[in-house]
Amino acid sequence: MTDALLHVDNITVRFGGIVALDKVSLDVGRGSIQAVIGPNGAGKSTMLNVITGLYAVDGGAVSFEGERIDGRAPHTIGRLGIARTFQNTELFGEMSAIENVMVGLDRHHPYNLAIGMSHGPGYRRSEIAARREAGDLLALVGIADDAAVAAAALPFGKQRRLELARALATRPKVLLLDEPAAGLRAVEIESLNLILLNLRAEQGLTILLVDHVMALVMAISDRISVLNFGRKIAEGNPDTVRKSPEVIRAYLGEKGAHALGA
Amino acid sequence: MIPRLAIYVAGIAGFFIAPHYLAEYHLFQICLIAATALVVLGLVAVTGLAGQISLAQSAFVGLGGYGSAILATSWGVPLWASIPLTAFAVAFAGFVLGQLTLRISGHYLALATMAFTAIVQLAFIHSDPVTGGAAGMPVPPFRIFGLTLTTGRHLYYVILPATALLFLLVQNVMQSRFGRALTAIRQSETAAEAMGLNVLRYKAMAFAGSGFLGAVGGGLLASLSTYLDPAQFGITQSVYFLAVAVVGGMSSPFGAIIGSAMFILVPDLLQSFQSYLGLVFALLLLGFIVLRPNGLASVRLSRYLNLLSPRPAGGRR
Repeated sequence: MTDALLHVDNITVRFGGIVALDKVSLDVGRGSIQAVIGPNGAGKSTMLNVITGLYAVDGGAVSFEGERIDGRAPHTIGRLGIARTFQNTELFGEMSAIENVMVGLDRHHPYNLAIGMSHGPGYRRSEIAARREAGDLLALVGIADDAAVAAAALPFGKQRRLELARALATRPKVLLLDEPAAGLRAVEIESLNLILLNLRAEQGLTILLVDHVMALVMAISDRISVLNFGRKIAEGNPDTVRKSPEVIRAYLGEKGAHALGA
Repeated sequence: MIPRLAIYVAGIAGFFIAPHYLAEYHLFQICLIAATALVVLGLVAVTGLAGQISLAQSAFVGLGGYGSAILATSWGVPLWASIPLTAFAVAFAGFVLGQLTLRISGHYLALATMAFTAIVQLAFIHSDPVTGGAAGMPVPPFRIFGLTLTTGRHLYYVILPATALLFLLVQNVMQSRFGRALTAIRQSETAAEAMGLNVLRYKAMAFAGSGFLGAVGGGLLASLSTYLDPAQFGITQSVYFLAVAVVGGMSSPFGAIIGSAMFILVPDLLQSFQSYLGLVFALLLLGFIVLRPNGLASVRLSRYLNLLSPRPAGGRR
């Protein structure tokens, strides 16, 4: 795929003696929804942490819109248009929901330090615009009523949505979701599916998600890559992956695979 | 917004009325509280807001005091200009010190800033030709508009407006995107970075701010005490400022004022306990850390605000 927005090329990541990712490649096409699945410890989150610059690679390269981004600082990668959520949520707990989103909007409603100190010209306009946009994003993910609630006080499902709103606030080109459905109820997963599909349809957003909740992954992904022990063992559309004997073995073990007759 | 306006008006009226009713000693105490509060405000910015533990504050205070005094003595720059000039230089030093946070955090950062304080103090002691060495140096009087301000009664008109202005600026910054960014960094650096915030630069800016405020406070304290003794700018003094911040409350600028007032007025009230003062403060600090980690400022908020603005039951929100 030459028109890939995000291109992960043969990356290797080692933690001491453990190889977390072993020459894994991944292409995320513009406007696509791509999933990475795999059992616990397969290297899924490591993949996201490498893309966002939290981990350094021991080999290989990551490029975004044709530019190398591995080795850059996380905040510069974020500014290129790569936003993410976190597996165990990393909200700013003491801040209200709307303020969390406003942090994401920071560089889109700027003013300089002198204006910040004096609350001078432009301060009110920027703050009001940021607050309005943040409110819209909270409404988009369905938690507009909780705008003033401290993030830490929100129930887990809403924290997940807030993380999504905060990531969208950076106006990303690609959204990386780390287990967005973990711990959600079936109804909540369905509404998350809808939100993600709408984002793609309306804004052309590219999404790379990492999860093992099949209800989410199978329903919305165009393409799925399967990792096991740091290696990519299968790739294709949901149907291909579902039928792959390698995948069934990885998920169910040898005995389970035999029982299914794969 | 009427209550806030009323508070401003009352504050300004109080500012002009107080000197007519208070004795020199009390005005001196007020100046001392205001200047100390500025120093502690620096800690509120770097530790309370940005979450970076700093024991460099007394070094910033010392640099502010010595810097402005040396500029005045050796170069003839009047204190009203040398204090802000020095403060900008110290802010830059703070910014550089803040680069440490790239590699170290938490306890190690506290230790590193402590080392900075120790080094700065040694520099004061061993630079005899300019600082007077271990014996210290006198601070030239504060001259402005042809007036020479020597007493607390005079300096009151310089120190209080300067303190009020800087408090207002810090308060504004806290309620801006910069305050939001620092609050976010305190709670999750990883998430703040993912949002595209340059975490290192923000933390360094917080150190620069604490350096600036510490240096202005230091310059004003120097002009109040009229003498600089390097023994005043050691690690113990840094811990003292941190204690003031903890007792006052780290999460709000008002904590700096309340804490400073407490630490300056209590020794007066407890004069007969003079030899046990250290113990009193140690117990205070311990008590606040355990029982009320958000300091005295949080007491004020929970008690008084409810009394001042009773919410009509069933009224509109």
